[in-house]
Amino acid sequence: MAVLSQTLPAGQKPMRRRTFLRAALLLLFLSGPFGLRAETTSREYALKAAFLYNFAQFTEWPGDAFAATNSPFVIGVLGDDPFGKALNETVQGQLMNGRKFAVERYRHVEDVKACQILFISQSESRRLGDITAALGQRPILTVSDIKDAAARGVSVQFVTEHNKIRFKINLDSLKQSKLAMSSKLLRVAQIVSPENP
Amino acid sequence: VTPTPTASIKRKITAAIMLTAVAVLLITVIAFASYDLARLRKGMIENLSTLGQVVAGNSTAALAFRDENDAASVLSSLKAEPQIVAAALYDRQGKIFVTYPARMADGHFPAVPKPGGHSFEHQRLILFEPVVQNGARLGTLCLEAGLGIFYQRLEIYAGLSVFIIVGSLALALLLSYRLQKRVSEPILSLAETAKAVAVRKDFSVRAAKFADDELGLLTDAFNRMLVEIHHLNATLEHRVQERTAQLEAVNKELEAFSYSVSHDLRAPLRHIDGFVEMLRQTSAASLDSSGQRYLEIISESAKRMGGLIDDLLVFSRMGRSEMRRENVKTSEQVAEVLREMARDLEGRNIHWDIAPLPEVNGDRAMLKQVWVNLLSNAVKYTRHRERAEIEVRCHQNNATDIEFSVRDNGAGFDMQYADKLFGVFQRLHHSEEFEGTGIGLANVRRIIQRHGGKTWAEGKVDAGATFYFTLPKLN
Repeated sequence: MAVLSQTLPAGQKPMRRRTFLRAALLLLFLSGPFGLRAETTSREYALKAAFLYNFAQFTEWPGDAFAATNSPFVIGVLGDDPFGKALNETVQGQLMNGRKFAVERYRHVEDVKACQILFISQSESRRLGDITAALGQRPILTVSDIKDAAARGVSVQFVTEHNKIRFKINLDSLKQSKLAMSSKLLRVAQIVSPENP
Repeated sequence: VTPTPTASIKRKITAAIMLTAVAVLLITVIAFASYDLARLRKGMIENLSTLGQVVAGNSTAALAFRDENDAASVLSSLKAEPQIVAAALYDRQGKIFVTYPARMADGHFPAVPKPGGHSFEHQRLILFEPVVQNGARLGTLCLEAGLGIFYQRLEIYAGLSVFIIVGSLALALLLSYRLQKRVSEPILSLAETAKAVAVRKDFSVRAAKFADDELGLLTDAFNRMLVEIHHLNATLEHRVQERTAQLEAVNKELEAFSYSVSHDLRAPLRHIDGFVEMLRQTSAASLDSSGQRYLEIISESAKRMGGLIDDLLVFSRMGRSEMRRENVKTSEQVAEVLREMARDLEGRNIHWDIAPLPEVNGDRAMLKQVWVNLLSNAVKYTRHRERAEIEVRCHQNNATDIEFSVRDNGAGFDMQYADKLFGVFQRLHHSEEFEGTGIGLANVRRIIQRHGGKTWAEGKVDAGATFYFTLPKLN
């Protein structure tokens, strides 16, 4: 309970519980025997939204990643937003090392300001090279479900295997972004490098 | 089986030592086992808790990203811990995500995980460990450890304590058998000596002393007491002998004195009697009637005194003369006495009831004197009865003595003088009423005493008397 109450401040508890439950039901459904192909897009992205939130727990950002000590933890979506309400609901009321979460949506890579996790939508598939180049060495964990995104310089790429969402991680990109990822996360991921896509 | 006294003290000491040893051992074993088992229990909980934390830490990513394969592989690492019989990972919503072993019966794990902590259930140690990453709860790990080690250890302790107790008992038996001797041996020796003293009356034995402890003190005291008793006994015997000799000497002296007195009294008495007779023959005519009556009285008195002196001489002879023992047929002797008394019985109406009397051993003349005295007494004191009844009986009351009794229906006597009857010159009746010197019963007592018997009498005034005496049985 102690652990729970640490993450859930007293006042907003009931609401967060409901959010939790909703996410839980989604997770259960997605991992069930129906598989993703039969699921609506929003269900797939609800799970991906939860994963985005979980990446935050297993990754360390350098101190200069935040403008101020009370700056929020920003999860950005670049391009067409496939999450709908799911992402906002997932991070609603959660805290990350005392920081609130914020979800921001960008049309162009130039719009990306203070951001810790950036989900690059499939709509940006053709611009991916420009985007990664633009982001450069900024301490942003880039995530995308564009095909071969990891090989193309994105740190984390969602893939669907046997109706389950897995992910590939590009360690070089992570290193460039000066991000440290927990070995626990690396264990459940597939490691790729540009030479070995 | 009743233990002999010697066996009992040995057994008691051995039993005391053994019991003490067993009690101490039991307490030690139980205390040690309890402490160790409690420590083992605590250790098991700590180990499981540590293991739980490690496994929970390794399960975070698997739970967060719902990777069943990874979760299963994390749990399968529990194979290295044989005491873990089952494990389960619950997800954030409290649903079972993965189990170890992979296929578990439904309902084996609780449907809803506990928030944390351990519990002992169904011979299992069950631990719930929260799975937390970066402060966010991702799920719960449940570990089930068998208590095999615990029960194994318990069994080892049970076996070990049986082994230790049996072994220690054997050792204690051996040691106590040797050690108890230091206590029991002096006591047994003391008991043996006491037995010798009690059974054989042997006061010359001494108990052996083994050490200068309390038992040594007891032995010393016992030996000192033996010396004392031995000494007292010897002194007492010596003193009794001395006194007896003194008494015998005095008695002999008295008897000799009375004999010589009696004997010497006879001569002047005979002179008195002789000269009175001569005086009567020569000068009776010159004396008046009262003078002649005086002479008569002097003569009678002299004769009576002569009788007294004769009886006294008989009495003293009875005490002094040698006894010539032989077998005497009592019935014949009684008949002989009655024949000799025939003159006294003339004109009397006496009913005699004489039982058959056994043979005895003794001095024929002395025993005859006893019967003469008792029978003539009976005849004498029934003089005033129209029909006298005299009864002679014999009882064999015990193994050693024969009891004779002579009963009459004569004058009898007052029981308060029963003992005086047997005294010398003791008379309960006036000589005018019943003649006699008063020495007959004294003679009876003396003779019977010399034969090792007893005399006594029972009677009532005017209701007859019974005289008893005993003689040792013939071998």
